[in-house]
Amino acid sequence: MKLQKMLLTIAVGYLILKFGVPLVGSWLHPGAWPVIPTSVMKMYMTFVIVGSVLVYTFDEEGYRQIVGPILDLYGDPGKVKYCYAATLAVALLGAWVAYEYVKPTFDAPVELRSVHPAPPSSVKMWGKSYNLATLENPLRADKENFAKNSEEGGVVYYQNCFYCHGDLMDGKGHFATGFNNPLPANFVDVGTIAQLTESFVFWRIGSGGPGLPGEGAPWLSPMPIWHTLLSEDEVWKVILFLYDYTGHSPRVTEKHEG
Amino acid sequence: MTTAQATKRTMGAALLLAVSLALALVPTAAEAAPGDTANGKVLYEKKCWWCHGKTGEADGPAANFVIPPPRDFSLGVYKYKGSEPKAEVVRDEDLFRMISDGMPGTSMPAWKSVLSDKDRWDLVAYIKTLTDMFEGTPNPAPIDLSGKIASSEESISLGAKAYEAAKCFECHGVRGKGDTIKKLKEDSGKRVWPRNLTKQWTFRAGSTVEDIYTRVTNGIPNTPMPSFYSEKTGEGKLSTEDRWHVANYIKSLEETQKAPKDGETVVKGMYVAELPKSEKDEIWNEATGVAFNLVPQIIAKERFFIPANDLIYVKAMFNEKEVAFLLEWDDRSKSVPGDPVAEGIAWDTLTPDGVAVQTSVVIPTAGEKPYFGHGDASHTVSMLYWTAGSVETGPKEMIMSANGIAAREPGDAKAAGFTTSASYEMGTWKVMMKRSLATANKEKETQFEAGRYIPIAFANWDGSNGESGSKHTMTTWVWLLLKPDTGSEVVVIPGVILILLVGGQLAMAALLRKKKS
Repeated sequence: MKLQKMLLTIAVGYLILKFGVPLVGSWLHPGAWPVIPTSVMKMYMTFVIVGSVLVYTFDEEGYRQIVGPILDLYGDPGKVKYCYAATLAVALLGAWVAYEYVKPTFDAPVELRSVHPAPPSSVKMWGKSYNLATLENPLRADKENFAKNSEEGGVVYYQNCFYCHGDLMDGKGHFATGFNNPLPANFVDVGTIAQLTESFVFWRIGSGGPGLPGEGAPWLSPMPIWHTLLSEDEVWKVILFLYDYTGHSPRVTEKHEG
Repeated sequence: MTTAQATKRTMGAALLLAVSLALALVPTAAEAAPGDTANGKVLYEKKCWWCHGKTGEADGPAANFVIPPPRDFSLGVYKYKGSEPKAEVVRDEDLFRMISDGMPGTSMPAWKSVLSDKDRWDLVAYIKTLTDMFEGTPNPAPIDLSGKIASSEESISLGAKAYEAAKCFECHGVRGKGDTIKKLKEDSGKRVWPRNLTKQWTFRAGSTVEDIYTRVTNGIPNTPMPSFYSEKTGEGKLSTEDRWHVANYIKSLEETQKAPKDGETVVKGMYVAELPKSEKDEIWNEATGVAFNLVPQIIAKERFFIPANDLIYVKAMFNEKEVAFLLEWDDRSKSVPGDPVAEGIAWDTLTPDGVAVQTSVVIPTAGEKPYFGHGDASHTVSMLYWTAGSVETGPKEMIMSANGIAAREPGDAKAAGFTTSASYEMGTWKVMMKRSLATANKEKETQFEAGRYIPIAFANWDGSNGESGSKHTMTTWVWLLLKPDTGSEVVVIPGVILILLVGGQLAMAALLRKKKS
């Protein structure tokens, strides 16, 4: 009974990794089916198998229940037929695992990068130095011209950004199909501008992909170095627009009174 | 009847009533709702004007940066008409579908993911007020699709004949690659490229046989694509049957194996003892190709927004001495300056078609790579470049290295064993590049090694689209893996394991049985 349970546990583990994970992924990102890379899959399955064996053979009774039927299957002269079947099944399984290891594959290496790396304390752009800890959007206080500034930011967005970040602000612009490693930021998602300060967004736009620290893989990001293409005013306006259009509020750094 | 039963019945009736009320209130996609133009205007002024303009005249801030250009609503003429052929206007359902599903291959997204059915019907109602074309015009009847002829070999071959008779090839090419022999523009005067019929995922309004039949029947208003419908068959027209045959034929031209697939990022380099002699060598058929999307260079000055070519299909082979790449892409014309046909259909100054392969000089062991755009100060990239040249000079190849966009230097092609051969046929360029695996200039040129993942990127110039210099299409980093010849080990290792496992288990069984007895 325990033997079957153990095999069932391993099978369920495999199914969860093989189909459950991508299923959750496809639910979070409709249209995608993000499978676990083969190399990681092999590692996880080793843990599942070793773990299951350890748990089920933890005590003497469990050990006997697992090993007993196996010894019985191979040693009972009355079960020779089953013995041969099991022998063949185990051998084929082993050969298949071996084949999976040696067969030619073209799986891309796994590349890890930090999505929101820690910003530097200050950054130099437009010939000036900005302290990112205290920097604020100078246009936010100007309530009177808010609509006008936001609309002008929209013009900047549609003439520069929407090709990748999209008309729906979802990071699926019409050129995102080529600039997809990393994916362009999805501004509607609660995980991007909604949890960042305006100074962080200002730094990310202004210095672009090459301005990322090493953990952000600056060699991959196609985000242009916008301070070479836009003015400081245009960058603040487009930030205003991004929050206004998506309805998100920028994260505010807490100020200590006194 | 007990109280409990009565309560259950009342609840059941209430539920039934609520469901039927809810069903009655929800308009289905098939039937047009009148639409609230005031709400439509509010939505339009938040979401649509950026391309289509505040008054709908296609003059929004993004209008000049997108191709195809946004629709001008003041004209009231729409490209994708599902009405019966005689109708002058599109159906409300056509407008609703365009807003809901967007148009693949364009900057028009599918709004159904962010706007409710009601909002989208309100937008339909509003954009109809931006022109007088719809005034006093009832919603036309849909196109009649009842005569559909099922696809068969016979129908496809009749379709091929009709495709030729109706001269579809003049714009769409003999193989449907969109390699036009005409210079085509929309009524607005803007350039338009004929559809490549093999890439059906770029069809704007669906790629079912019914969709294709609808396009052939109604044409694409405002563009050079005519309607092939006529009550009497005549010059340049097709009978209903022939239009179904043509639709079946076009459907059969689809080439899905050359569509980019999600997550495919490795060029599969195959080992062969003897490398192909040219781009036409049949041995290339044995290699597996990978398709990559090409997007315009919009990252550094001078930025470029309106591409024509959209993908490149790559194969690679190698032996002990050399590596060979086969770069294949569909291109509407063979752009070689000085060629009269190419000059005739070029929009601006005709520039030569070209293609480039960029690789990292240092093969990375960890994550760190050169910047994908021509490397950076501390990481060099190597580039193999081919250009169609001109009628006088013929095609040329160049090997280069770079440490950033402004830091490029030429190399010695001969010393690196860099050779190319290329041909253009029926809408497709094939360029083969060959290079020695190892070269003398190790600081500036990639030393290709089997079994290593090498960062690789591609760039493409379409001369009839005026592309040159920084104005080109490209990919970012993908990988090249020259897969060492696995030979017999794929069979031998699992075989040995199989034998060992069978032997081991049988021995164990014998031992156990002996013990028992």
